[in-house]
Amino acid sequence: MARPLDPLGFEDEMCPVCKSRKYLNPDIVFVFNPECYHSMCLNCANRLFNDGPNQCPHAGCNKTLRRKGFRSAFFGDLSVEREVDIRRRVAAVFNQKEDDFETLQDYNNYLQMVEDLAFELVNGSDEKRRQAEAQLAAWEAEHRQDIERNKKAGREADEMSRKRLAAERDAARQRRIEAIKEAEEEKRERVRSREMELDNLAKGITTAAEPATKVQLKRRGQRGGITEPAAPNPAAAAVAGMGASEVERLSIRGLKEKPKAPAPQGPYDPFGGMDFAPSRYKLHVGLAHPLMEKYRLDRQHVAGGYSFDDFAARALYEAFAGLGVFVEDEKEVGNGNGLSQAGEMVAAADDPDRMDLD
Amino acid sequence: MANSPLVARPTDALQPSKSLPTSSGGTPSGGLPRSARGQRIAAEARPAMDLMEQMNEDEKNKYIKGKKLGEGTYANVYLGHSRVDASVKVAIKKIKVQKEYQDGIAPDAIREMKYLQKLRGHANIIILHSVFSSKDQNLNLVLEYLPLGDLEMLIRDVDHVRYGAADIKAWMGMLTRAVWWCHDNYVLHRDIKPNNLLIAADGEVKLADFGLARSFADPGVRMTANVITRWYRPPELLFGARHYSGAVDVWSVGLVFAELIIRNPYLPGNSEVEQIALICREIGTPTEENWPGVTQLKEYTVPSDVVPVAGKEKYMGRFGAVGSDGVDLLAKTLILDPRRRITAREMLEHRWWKADPKPTPKHDLPKKTAGAEEKAAADLKRRNGMVEDDDVRGSKVARKLDFGAAR
Repeated sequence: MARPLDPLGFEDEMCPVCKSRKYLNPDIVFVFNPECYHSMCLNCANRLFNDGPNQCPHAGCNKTLRRKGFRSAFFGDLSVEREVDIRRRVAAVFNQKEDDFETLQDYNNYLQMVEDLAFELVNGSDEKRRQAEAQLAAWEAEHRQDIERNKKAGREADEMSRKRLAAERDAARQRRIEAIKEAEEEKRERVRSREMELDNLAKGITTAAEPATKVQLKRRGQRGGITEPAAPNPAAAAVAGMGASEVERLSIRGLKEKPKAPAPQGPYDPFGGMDFAPSRYKLHVGLAHPLMEKYRLDRQHVAGGYSFDDFAARALYEAFAGLGVFVEDEKEVGNGNGLSQAGEMVAAADDPDRMDLD
Repeated sequence: MANSPLVARPTDALQPSKSLPTSSGGTPSGGLPRSARGQRIAAEARPAMDLMEQMNEDEKNKYIKGKKLGEGTYANVYLGHSRVDASVKVAIKKIKVQKEYQDGIAPDAIREMKYLQKLRGHANIIILHSVFSSKDQNLNLVLEYLPLGDLEMLIRDVDHVRYGAADIKAWMGMLTRAVWWCHDNYVLHRDIKPNNLLIAADGEVKLADFGLARSFADPGVRMTANVITRWYRPPELLFGARHYSGAVDVWSVGLVFAELIIRNPYLPGNSEVEQIALICREIGTPTEENWPGVTQLKEYTVPSDVVPVAGKEKYMGRFGAVGSDGVDLLAKTLILDPRRRITAREMLEHRWWKADPKPTPKHDLPKKTAGAEEKAAADLKRRNGMVEDDDVRGSKVARKLDFGAAR
């Protein structure tokens, strides 16, 4: 691979193969092959590689190049060109988003790690470079799906943000127009009602209260801004599932656990996931007890809506409240509800009838 | 530990502990008791009053009282935080000593403590963390800190807070669950109204103020009819019923529901007589036909012109925003006869919850806005297409160079 080439930038003026110069041939186009980043003029490249793969003509470079791989440089300095290529490659593989991380710290650590890797690839010694290359390849192989997904999400996000910006611009304009319209409308309305009042007065109808009670159209609610769908949360990539291999593995800390967005809330549970149905006894409807029967026909109880079923349910609940409670188990776990001891003392005197204040 | 008053006392106070049957023989021998167990043993030796004081002191020291948040006739509320972890915020409600109840604790404070403990553990009921008394026997309730105000603020803030049917459904769901939890634990709240519905930082609505709560009465035991704020008081209480059930809370829930929709109190009577008149006019006159036995209630008086009970169409006109299922639920909570009125459990089984729109997730519910006015003004002044980026975090993130865009 390439050493930093022509540090002074003279060579790009001259094709090292045919020695033609920009000065003599102003149309000369320099191309290079990213295999080794050695440049030459387009003519030479065509001439040398037209007949299939060939060796790089630079002295000491024994890379085999193909015509297809040649392109013209974007940057004048080919070492910059090379660094950009490498970084683009790394960025395509390590394409996690900030949202994928649990904390900012984790994200920054990740960026640092990626940067270290890129630096090794660009400037590292052969040994280091090979190692980094292997790590990159291993990561890519292992996380192909995540990478693909992030890439797709990134494209979608770009699209979304473009749309959102356009929509916001539109909404803001709409709002302004509407505000102006509304103000005008109001002004007109005022003039109109004033005229009507005067007309009425002229006609001798004295219904002074009427204009005041006229229903004002509510314009609220029409103005609600356009609600854009929230940007899709790019599904987080997981670090798990790394097998053993000879290459030193890359692991990213703080990456969020798998997908959190797609967990569908399911149907709304009005009870919030709680249930009070007694599991250890069955409650029959219309339970009777002499104590209750006395009051069942009492007009005051009937008309006031007193619920005898509630009373029966409560009586049974209190009677069976201890079922399934094993004091020994409770002792081991300890009373972990953190309620104050002072509070418990109040609770200890929990004699419902005594403490109820009317 | 070292500065606890218990340890500071002369050790001869600990002597009687020898006579106690100490299980492990771990009587602190002259030195300072190091373990909690040692302290407990030592504490048992003290007269009962000191034990109480010690426990109270421990409890009090767990919290640090901060600035005053509000003052009422009955209590002052302070912001506080846990001593161990300053990020755990609490509201400390310091009950004022009341003239009528100088010899004991005011009944509302007792009710609040008792029922909040009983009802602990439901997401929609305010948590009582602790209770302690401070100097001069003031009672302090350590409650969950709910920073986002109450539902009433949102209902009243017509200019800045907008919400729709999905938000109403979410709020109603939380309220109904809270009431259901109370009733299934045999507790009547008896003061449900929007300003007793506080909002937690995550948008969860929590039922608070159990100062009027009580548990279901046994048959034959009279309860007071003078409960529930008048606008939310059901007809049976207005007629002086002394034997009632959870239906009284359901009526209040129905009126909160109505208020959420029209953003005004539905039945704002200025007196009890006017309240009855309003109910008769809006919902219908209670008669023997639609409410057997009502005329027997002590304070049964209705305006002379009998209004038939409102049909669904009448509600539809005013409350149509929540859809026909929603109106059906509302109408069932506002049934005059408490025995036929829907119960909290039946409310949760209603089909409205399953119908569209789905309730808003609690994080996305509207919140009270401080700078809403300025924002609206700024919106009009701003140039088109200028959207402020208030991504605070962005400034701290290391910038990632995008090499892919170079070409």
